[in-house]
This record gives sequence, C-alpha cells and structure tokens, in this order.
Amino acid sequence: MTTAALVRRRRRYLLLATLSPFSLLALWVAAVHFGWVRNVLLPGPGAVLAALKDMLTEGYAGISLFIHIGSSMARVGTAFVAGSLLGTAVGLLRGRVGAVDAVWLVPAELVRPVPPLGLIPLFILWFGIGELSKVLLIFVPVFLITMISAQDGARSCGQDVLRAGQTLGASKLQVFTLVILPSALPQIMTGLRVAFGTALSVLVASELLGGDRGLGFIVLDASNFFRTSYVLAGVVLIGFIGLVSDRGLAAVGRRFVHWEGKR
Amino acid sequence: MSDNAAEVLRFDRVGLSYDDRPVLQDVSFTVQRGETVALLGPSGCGKTTLLNIVAGFLQPSAGVALCNNREIAGPGPDRGVVFQSYALFDWMTVEDNIAFSLRCSGQPRRERREVASRMAALVGLSGFEKSYPYQLSGGMRQRCGLARVLAANPSVMLMDEPFAAVDVQTREALQEEILRIQVATGCTILFVTHSIDEAVFLGHRIFLMNKGRMGAFEEFAVGLPKPRAQAEHRLHVEFLAVRDRVYRALRKSHEDHANHADLTAPAAQEHAA
Repeated sequence: MTTAALVRRRRRYLLLATLSPFSLLALWVAAVHFGWVRNVLLPGPGAVLAALKDMLTEGYAGISLFIHIGSSMARVGTAFVAGSLLGTAVGLLRGRVGAVDAVWLVPAELVRPVPPLGLIPLFILWFGIGELSKVLLIFVPVFLITMISAQDGARSCGQDVLRAGQTLGASKLQVFTLVILPSALPQIMTGLRVAFGTALSVLVASELLGGDRGLGFIVLDASNFFRTSYVLAGVVLIGFIGLVSDRGLAAVGRRFVHWEGKR
Repeated sequence: MSDNAAEVLRFDRVGLSYDDRPVLQDVSFTVQRGETVALLGPSGCGKTTLLNIVAGFLQPSAGVALCNNREIAGPGPDRGVVFQSYALFDWMTVEDNIAFSLRCSGQPRRERREVASRMAALVGLSGFEKSYPYQLSGGMRQRCGLARVLAANPSVMLMDEPFAAVDVQTREALQEEILRIQVATGCTILFVTHSIDEAVFLGHRIFLMNKGRMGAFEEFAVGLPKPRAQAEHRLHVEFLAVRDRVYRALRKSHEDHANHADLTAPAAQEHAA
C-alpha cells in the first residue's frame, strides 16, 4: 500500500472515531430536546455538564471531586497492580507447568463465573466494609483475567523458539524470563487492557460496600436521591478515565510489543 | 583417522522408539572435527529424529550418543541448532539475538556487543545489528540464525533443513555462505536436507536414509576439490558424478521399499487373520 493510501485510511479512521461519539451526543441532545425521554430519567448534556462543574467547584457530599477520583483510582490502581502481577505470574506458570495448572484449574474456574456483586456479602463478612474489601473485590477479576491471558500467551510460545533458547545454553529460569515471558507479551498486554476495563466496572460495585468517597460512591449516592445528572456525571467521569487509560495501555502495548503482527 | 581428540560425534548402536514403535535402530557413525555431514532422505526417514537426538531434544531408548566423548544429556550450546523456521527471538535486535548464548553464560555487555558485531560481519549482516528480525528478509533472518549459533562457538552446528523456506537464489547464496564460513572457522556441521544438490554441494560425507529402514543409511564421500567454497563446484564433474550415484541409490532404495511394502502387506493381513 502506498503512503498516500495509508494516510487516507488513517484519516478516515480518525474521522469515524471522532464522529461516532459526537453523533451519540447529538442523539442524546435530540432525545432530550424533543422530549422522547423524561428529564428525571435522562437529563440533557447541559445538565450533566452543570453537575460536573458544580462538583469541580463545590465537591460532592462535602468532599472535593479530586479526592473522590483519587480514592477510586487508588483502589483500582492497587487492585490492578497486585492482581495483574500475581495473575500474570500464576498464568505463565500454569501455561508451562502441568502441576501448577492442575492445582489452579478447578478453583479458578469455580470463582470466575461468580459476579462481583455476589461476592460482596461474603467479603463484608470476611474483610469488613473497609478498603480491603473494596480492593479485593476489584483484585479478583483482574487476577483471573490476567491469569488466563498470560497462560494462553505462555502456551503460544513456539516449540522451535523454546528449543532455540535451550540449545543456546539458557537455564530453565532464563528460558522463562528471556523466551517464554516476552513471547507471551502480546496476550499479556491484551489481558491487561481487558482487566483494567473490568476493574473500573467493578469499582462502582466495590463502593457499594459503604464509605463516603469515590466515583462509585457518587454514582450510588446520587441515584439514591434521584440526582440523575450527578449519576450521569459520575458515569461520564468513569467512562472518560476508562477511555484514557485504555488508550494509554494500548500505546504502551504497541511500544513493548512492537513485533506483533509483523512476522 | 579416528583420533579421539578429532572425534566430535559418536553414535553407537543408537535406537529410538515412539510407543514401542521403533523409528531408529542400531544407528552407528562418527563425525570428525571440521567435517560437514549431510543427512539426506525423504520425509519420514528419521533424519530429523537423528538430528534431534544430537541436539538433545530427544533421548535415545537404546545405545549411546556421544558428543566430545560425553553422553548427550540434553540441549546445550556446544550443539547449536539452525532451524528451518529461523526461530529468532522477535523481541530482540539482531545483536541481542546473536549474543543470546553469551548473555545466558553471563558475559558482560561490552563483550557481547563485540562478539555480535564480529559474527554479524562473518555472516554479512554488518549494519543490521540494531534491526529487529521482522525488518529483515528471509535470507537475512537465516544469516542471523547462523550467527547466533556460531557466537556460542559450538562443537558441532546442527541445521534442520535450514534453507527450505527461502527462494532458490537466496538458498544458493546461503549455501555458498555456509561453505565460506566453514572454511573460515573450521566448524563441524551436521545438517538435514531432502535436496541431493544441497547434500553434495555442502557435505563432505552424505548419509542417505530412507523410509522404513529405521535409520540404516548408505554413505557417500564427496571428493570435491578444496577450497570447497566455490560456486563453480555445482558444475564440477565430481559433483555431477556423486549427484548421479546418490540419485540412483535413492531411487533404488525407494523402489525396494515400495516393493517390500507391497509384499509385506498381504502377509501382515494373513498374520492378523
């Protein structure tokens, strides 16, 4: 393909990627303007923007918006880092060591289909309603997702590449760190993106566990009082953080996994 | 001739079975330092299995396989393998690929870079040290694969149909490159091929194998003039003579095998009944 054709394709991509959210926004404006929906159920973008502005200046429930964002991100961040590190490590081992896979298979698959909401009562009983419960609730799906993607990645390492490592004198540990881990990186990166999105979506559920701060707290608290524009403002903030972090992770992935799809 | 110091490989009545089905039986040979030996034969004749035993990927179920008078116990840098699929590390630069064995043995970075650049020059990859494998052509990738094995300074270099995945012109260029490297470094090579021309052009000796023979082979010596690294050898009278002999032997053993199979099939049925 010529450079000009590539540039044209890239432009069309950017145009569509920009047009799609703006048409949704237009649909939203129209729905509110023509009264297709009741205002208390779906306030217009203007009202949501006003709610956002109000929270920015006045905070929500007496606490600065940035503290809400910060405490949510601390929960998501802690759970994401711990969950993905452990999940990736266990997953890589499961992918290459039969005994490790056998040990984890049934427990992991038993927990995986359980929705985070279903774990809340148990976690309250076991860990109380503090930070630990909230972080653990996000940790579980992050761990499970990154484990499966790392396992898949470790399994996809080709036999010849593995043998090449062995025949060049790599020890078992070196084969693992210099061959298996890097060849699993494409799948690991995809797993990290999926896991971060899931972590954000579990955030609201985790903040059902009580407390007085967090984006999930805003959404839940506002919905209790039918302050729909604040609910939507919270949703928009979570969505925006998700979009930015996903683009960030994707960019990091492209940098780290530069060889993907080029073989 | 069989001075033990010069003997790199020795197979003594090596056998290998998969699920009690013998693939190799009583295979014996030696390879001397500086020799190039071709394992030639059709798919399924056991040539790759034999190479994999030398590489340490497979353990023989009978007999002994020795490298430098020590029993082969697993893969190791003294028996580097050049793969048909290149098997390069996509996430590493050419330099890091070449210096991989040195990294594994804990050599310092400066030393690794120095060896990598020397090996890159040897295989004609100078200037591509910082490139990634996916930025190279097939022929250049296999040059990188060669340099990676040479950097480990192996006792014997093993090649499994190393040039089967590249086009004819590139293949011929790489074959000449192998001869040049062999003359320059004096390395020992054991390689698998199904091309008679490649076997005669590169090999000092050819082990001709066939299906259903469990690794029994017919040996041919190639008496091409030295130095070997000459493209004209493809038209040399000795090249053509050996090529002819090997071709006839391959055809004959193929026909024998076919007849043999025809004769045994009904007998086997009788046996079953």
